[in-house]
Amino acid sequence: MRWITRERPKIDRIACPWLIRRFVDQEAEFIYVPFEEVIPKSKEFDAIPFDLPGVEYTHYGDECTFDYIVKKHKLDDPALKVMAVIVRGADTDRHDLASQSSGLWAISAGLSHNVKDDSLLLEKGMMVYDALYSWAKYLQNEKHTQNPIENLLLDVYKKFLKHKSGKIPEWAKELKDIIQDQIDTNLSLSLRELSESLNVHPSYLSREFSKYFDDLSFGDYIRKLRIEKSIILLDDPKHTLAEIAYLTGFSDQSHFNRIFKKYTGKNPSEYRKSLLKSKTDTNR
Amino acid sequence: MKWITRERPKIDRIACPWLIRNFVDHKAKFIYVPKEDVFAKAEELDAIPYDIPGAEYSHEGEFCTFDYIIRRHQLADPALDQIALIVRGADTDRFDLAPQAAGLWAISAGLSHNIKDDHEQLVLGMKIYDALYSWARYVHNEKHTWSSKI
Repeated sequence: MRWITRERPKIDRIACPWLIRRFVDQEAEFIYVPFEEVIPKSKEFDAIPFDLPGVEYTHYGDECTFDYIVKKHKLDDPALKVMAVIVRGADTDRHDLASQSSGLWAISAGLSHNVKDDSLLLEKGMMVYDALYSWAKYLQNEKHTQNPIENLLLDVYKKFLKHKSGKIPEWAKELKDIIQDQIDTNLSLSLRELSESLNVHPSYLSREFSKYFDDLSFGDYIRKLRIEKSIILLDDPKHTLAEIAYLTGFSDQSHFNRIFKKYTGKNPSEYRKSLLKSKTDTNR
Repeated sequence: MKWITRERPKIDRIACPWLIRNFVDHKAKFIYVPKEDVFAKAEELDAIPYDIPGAEYSHEGEFCTFDYIIRRHQLADPALDQIALIVRGADTDRFDLAPQAAGLWAISAGLSHNIKDDHEQLVLGMKIYDALYSWARYVHNEKHTWSSKI
């Protein structure tokens, strides 16, 4: 089939041709003409008009033409659902809908500025949507943090929304477990990243945190867990002190020494000696 | 000059070649080799190693190689500064640095997945950075809505 729409495409008029050619009609041809010529030319060329008011393939409410094609042709690939939100966000200036919308908009607006021939632009755009599709289909979870913790945290937050009553919110309990898990694997937790993942404001998290975490601030709580982990590691003579500092997330050994002493009253090597001594004592 | 880095580029190793060729050295040639061969090949081919620990052109603290090139070559262009934030955000898992970082990452990761030839990927990747540059320079205040586009 032929499909026809307004010239100078940016988002929807590139994304829809991509969607049509990849999932609806591989042989589809696309024609771009000035706005006022779309309807007359569609009759002349026997082409389906899309992405303009008054035709079947168009925006409905908040949803853009891409959404309509997904729905109309019952495309149930989850990756397309992810893409639809990104496209809708970029196309309707609702960049809050998906975090990828702003980037898609910037790249698409720039491409349209650079490439003045609409068919060439479509060709370049197809490659962008092929890339976005592969990301949505195969690489979404591999993304920036390479860390499934972010999804876990989102689950926690959703539970928090559901269980607002009660003494200790479910999220606080789960957050505790999650932080503990994180401490075991990686110690680069920051309040800012966490609050971003939980979708709560950092100052809210910081204010509310101590209520549910032994009266400690976020920073103190994390430090306490790191010290506790370092004590476990000190018990194993195969780790050097520098290694332990590294494994518990301290940037250098002297910082580790300082914080450790503040919490336990001894520096790590003294503490290790006392651990060893008590062990040999009991062995005897 | 020749420039050499690790194979299978995603963000910085596409963005830096774009920056170098457009603003530092128009005749630059880019070579991608396995990580362990970068320094040996750099000497053999008389190429500048980049975006690999131990090279002059590399990450510094929270800044990525793209940032370093801008500073080292004193590139004063506000559009480049804007792109640098986006690239840094996408390259160092700091999507909070610029709203466009997450989208750049998604598209770049997908492109790298689809195109297994690094040079072919570089050619297409250059177009993406050309687009980002034009956006930053000429159209970044433009809004796109259903009502305004007709």
